[in-house]
Amino acid sequence: MSTDEPDRSTDAHGHEHHGVEGPGYPTPAAMRTESEREKTAFVMSLRVGMDVDGPDFVGVVDVDPDSETYAELIDTVDMPNKGDELHHFGWNTCSSSCHAEGLMRDHLIVPGQRSSRIHIVDASDPRSPVIERVIEPEEVFEHDLSAPHTVHCVPEGKIVISMLGNADGELPGGFLQLDGDDFSIDGHWEVDRGGMEMNYDYWYQPRHGVMLSSEWAAPETYYPGFDLDDVEAGKYGDSIHVWDWETKEHRQTLSFGEEGLIPLEVRMPHNPEETEGYVGAALSSNIIRFWEDADGQWEWETVIEIEDREHPDWDMPVPGLVTDLLLSLDDQYLFFSNWLHGDVRMYDVSDTGSPRLVDQVWAGGNFGDRQSVGGHDIRGAPQMLQLSRDGRRLYWTTSLFSSWDNQFYPGMGEEGSLMLKADVYPDEGRMELDEEFVVDFGDAPGGPARAHEIRWPGGDCTSDVWQ
Amino acid sequence: MPHTVTLEWRDGRETAVEVRATETVIDATERAGVGVPFGCLYGVCATCTGRLLEGDLVHVERPRGLKPRHRRDGYVLLCVAEPRSDCRIEVGAEIQADLVPNPWK
Repeated sequence: MSTDEPDRSTDAHGHEHHGVEGPGYPTPAAMRTESEREKTAFVMSLRVGMDVDGPDFVGVVDVDPDSETYAELIDTVDMPNKGDELHHFGWNTCSSSCHAEGLMRDHLIVPGQRSSRIHIVDASDPRSPVIERVIEPEEVFEHDLSAPHTVHCVPEGKIVISMLGNADGELPGGFLQLDGDDFSIDGHWEVDRGGMEMNYDYWYQPRHGVMLSSEWAAPETYYPGFDLDDVEAGKYGDSIHVWDWETKEHRQTLSFGEEGLIPLEVRMPHNPEETEGYVGAALSSNIIRFWEDADGQWEWETVIEIEDREHPDWDMPVPGLVTDLLLSLDDQYLFFSNWLHGDVRMYDVSDTGSPRLVDQVWAGGNFGDRQSVGGHDIRGAPQMLQLSRDGRRLYWTTSLFSSWDNQFYPGMGEEGSLMLKADVYPDEGRMELDEEFVVDFGDAPGGPARAHEIRWPGGDCTSDVWQ
Repeated sequence: MPHTVTLEWRDGRETAVEVRATETVIDATERAGVGVPFGCLYGVCATCTGRLLEGDLVHVERPRGLKPRHRRDGYVLLCVAEPRSDCRIEVGAEIQADLVPNPWK
């Protein structure tokens, strides 16, 4: 069955729980091997902070090589307001609800990072999504929360969004829970946030009743741009937080200090048995592994360090800035981006504590030799990543965040960003830039746009969790 | 009392908008269909940063997205700013980029 279809019956791909239908796949291997190739990509596309007087949009990109419109932006779903800064997004439900009858993966939850507005998009026709409902910022502020970021579903038909600030754009943040039936706000997810003040991304492992969240900064700190004085003043994060997924209470803080400044994306293996994972510390440019030890406490260690590089025209050594990472569905490969350097890396993590670099692609950035693809200048550098379910195609976009783009790659503010792709050969442990694939968001209808997070209909490596 | 706010872009474009009493500059530019960038609309994100060149403009909410050095240099957040006289303001997406340069360069 095509995974571009809204996915209801899991019987078609060997569901073992007789008589129960739910969305997604019973195991990560089922998703990897029994889904078809992605044909459509949803891409967060934004015009906030550009002199293009238009709203952000959900971009629909054709990634079906047999289609006449392959590698083209085939639809744009305009947001009803300007200024949202679409950033990350997620599904109403995923494989974690594989046992839940009656749920369908057919709605995208699309938050505005700056506006705090939350859009509910009916994506049951992936080639023609439509906005179904809008939760206005005032409704969000009533819960003393702002700056929505990561969206995951919760097995019982709920949706939980990490929120980076309070209603004034200051600390603390928290988590907002939506009801999956009518997309109304339930309130805060967390019962006790303990010592957690900053928030960013989170991942959960329901079999072990655990959730881990990371830290960016207060919206008032990171929204206007990156200021080293704010790092020195302790206004940026250096910790991750362990939560009890069942009682919704904060249990432990892992503080990394200088080794783990600005820990952003959190990824845990898709194998639901695992009690470990990785977080990318963007500013320290380290990959930190965390795991649960025998007595239930969580530990951490740095497993990959990216060396700063001297740039001939810059005053200070430049960090890689690890802004995104992901694990393949078989948990064998870790991919991450160095947004300031300009490369995306592939590591063998079959020995989780000893990652092994197997390949690297340079495209754009401040250090790469390759500064154009298919006649298009690469504005920005590898940033948000998405891997095909079969692990054979890695796609990425080149924009980070409008105000941060302005500091490091100012051309993007005028000309928009790009979506690129590498072909991955997991059996050989290598990847290669596909020079035939480039989606230039500078040519978007209505004027240039930036492109950010990517998802496929039917779920992907960064959306789905297994119970 | 309405005031005339003259907006100047760095590419040389110039437009005047009437800003009504108790209306922010962004309220007025949106009403007039003039594309001045904005984001959060409560003075935190600084997407709407402008630079006051002439006139009396007051922030009606705390402009959290600006540091003291930015305010001393005349930067203003237009989503929470109301004119108290006719004003001249530099606007456009690039003004925000003045606030924080690349720290490694």
